Amino acid sequence: MVSKRVTCTGCSLLCDDIIIRTDGLYIDEVIGACLKGKEKFDCTTGQNRILSPMIRKNSELEKTSLENAIKKAIEIIANSSKPILYGFSTVNCQAQLMGIELAKCVNGFIDSNSIICHGKVMNAAKQTGMTLSTISEVINKTDLLIFWGANVAESIPRLLNKALFSRGKFRMTGREIKTIVIIDPAKTASFNVMGVRDIALQVEPGKDIELIRALKEECCSPNSIPSNGVAGADKEDLKRLLIQLTNVENGVIFIGQGIVGSSRSSEVIKELLELIQMINAQQQKGRMSLMMLGGHYNMVGFDHVALSTYGKNHSLQFSDNELVETSDTIVSKINNGDFDCSIIVGSDPVSHLPWTLSKKLVSKPLILIDNKKSATFNCAHVVIPSTITGIESGGLGYRLDHVPVELYKIVNPPEHIISDEEILLKLINGLK
Amino acid sequence: MDLVLNTVRMVDYDQVKEYSCGDENSLKENLAICILNPEDIKKLNLTPSLNLKLANQYGEVVVKVKENKDIPSGTVLMPVSIWANLITGIDDEQLIFKNIKVSAEATRDAILTIKELLNKIIP
Amino acid sequence: MAFALDLLQGKVKIDDCTPLLEPKYKKNYDTLKELIGSEEGKEKELTIDVDEDLCDGCGICVTICPVNARYCPPSLSGKAPDYPPEKHQLFQVKNGKCELLNLKYCRRIEGEGQARECRVCESYCPREAVKIDYV
Repeated sequence: MVSKRVTCTGCSLLCDDIIIRTDGLYIDEVIGACLKGKEKFDCTTGQNRILSPMIRKNSELEKTSLENAIKKAIEIIANSSKPILYGFSTVNCQAQLMGIELAKCVNGFIDSNSIICHGKVMNAAKQTGMTLSTISEVINKTDLLIFWGANVAESIPRLLNKALFSRGKFRMTGREIKTIVIIDPAKTASFNVMGVRDIALQVEPGKDIELIRALKEECCSPNSIPSNGVAGADKEDLKRLLIQLTNVENGVIFIGQGIVGSSRSSEVIKELLELIQMINAQQQKGRMSLMMLGGHYNMVGFDHVALSTYGKNHSLQFSDNELVETSDTIVSKINNGDFDCSIIVGSDPVSHLPWTLSKKLVSKPLILIDNKKSATFNCAHVVIPSTITGIESGGLGYRLDHVPVELYKIVNPPEHIISDEEILLKLINGLK
Repeated sequence: MDLVLNTVRMVDYDQVKEYSCGDENSLKENLAICILNPEDIKKLNLTPSLNLKLANQYGEVVVKVKENKDIPSGTVLMPVSIWANLITGIDDEQLIFKNIKVSAEATRDAILTIKELLNKIIP
Repeated sequence: MAFALDLLQGKVKIDDCTPLLEPKYKKNYDTLKELIGSEEGKEKELTIDVDEDLCDGCGICVTICPVNARYCPPSLSGKAPDYPPEKHQLFQVKNGKCELLNLKYCRRIEGEGQARECRVCESYCPREAVKIDYV
């Protein structure tokens, strides 16, 4: 039995301090990883692991060989004129690049999960600019952490540990010197880490934009906040928040689905980015930055790969082997039925998209490349199993703070199962 | 009764975990649920044998109710899942998962299993 | 502080604290008598239980524990301590759950009157999974 330090791909925090004990064949013990990370490592031997390629025959999925599954997938794609590709947030950057090349090869449309998540922040940042921070900076320098619309204790369990409780180089007293602010309509588990000087703001649902606008207006004079508060937040708490925002040495705002997944999210994000720019412009020596909390481990990676290859971070439409202008997103493509087959890679859209979209998605032939059974698996016409990146195959991933992290193979995959990029390359070669 | 729905990620009711290691029963037990403030449960006349039907312009869903006093009155939480997405939707090409208006009523209707849900859409 | 912890463990009795016997502290004396009740003087052991159903392996207890911080350098920056665990290490996250390795070096039972009312692991657990008790 050997012990190794490995990187966990349970979420976008990509913890690189996990220790696993392995005999080379199986992972026996996982030390340091949270429950989400442990569950990811357990996927290698999970009962719902996809172990064989499958093709739908007479309304049932039947096992077949890899060659047959690839052949059937190629047949479906070759017979379509408007294929769409979606997912790519739980695969490595090499697979994301292969996905984009496949879309180019078949004059298809490709988008990743980030378009319905942190991609909105990247889009807004093109107009307003964005100040970023890294996890190391948060550990060593940050003294104010604001969690806005995110139940971080349950979505990324180890982030609070690293960000708030660590004793960084310039923050050796750790928790005592750090202030946490949580802005959320409901009192979640994250509220349990609050201390006396921390600020809990239970805003009314859907009123985040009012709060941001009030903070922007009052940036100069905290004394003119309305006496009955704003958006359900108390006047005194708002005053304390403003004082923190304008006097902090290094602050980070973490935003979650509460901001990104609500109506008017584009407006909210734009105003929030402007607030951060405003604070930074006024600060003498301090700095505020932003970090987006995502669940899938390589959601950020797709944006980087797409930007660096084609100058666009999402919604790439190809025609005649060239990138063309489009205002479509995966949502409009599916909603308008503007596709005739879909290739889903490392994702489960039938579960995580609204039902109206799921119904439309599965009405056309669906090819799934993934490693575990899901709702999308049950609706697919062709299923091609893949390895679990970071455990059974390596590659590059991007952490939530946009830092690239190399992932390594720890154990061998089950027999005849190959990586996502190898599968996509086989499809490209078969279609050329 | 009108409520505001928020879909959230919860460690105890995690879709990814259920798909990895669960089965049809555990999927339904742990994901086809909603969480309400005890006051709202009282106003809805919900008893342990009854389920809750949530409906809006996007669709409707029947789920089991759990209580939590930390949830503000007038709000209902559901774990991110295929059941929650029966009542989430699109607004101006944006996906809406938070702050969705729903109407709630107690019901004796059964909760659909994932197989029953998918059978409605598998061609 | 050390006296308070010895009282909870049944090593001393309330009457052993001479200042408390003064008339001006009678109210405090009575309150303590009521709180401790019939458990006074009964020997008890410190326990720190981690509820496995509630714990999600966030590792906050590993990082915040002052003993871990002193003897396990990686935990200063929130990283998982080295394996095998250092002999003083109190908490470890294994297979997604926190486990208590040993209580021997917990600050609550440090010897020679150095014991402290340290509850950081219990206070800061976001899932309220850690419980300190005397049984």
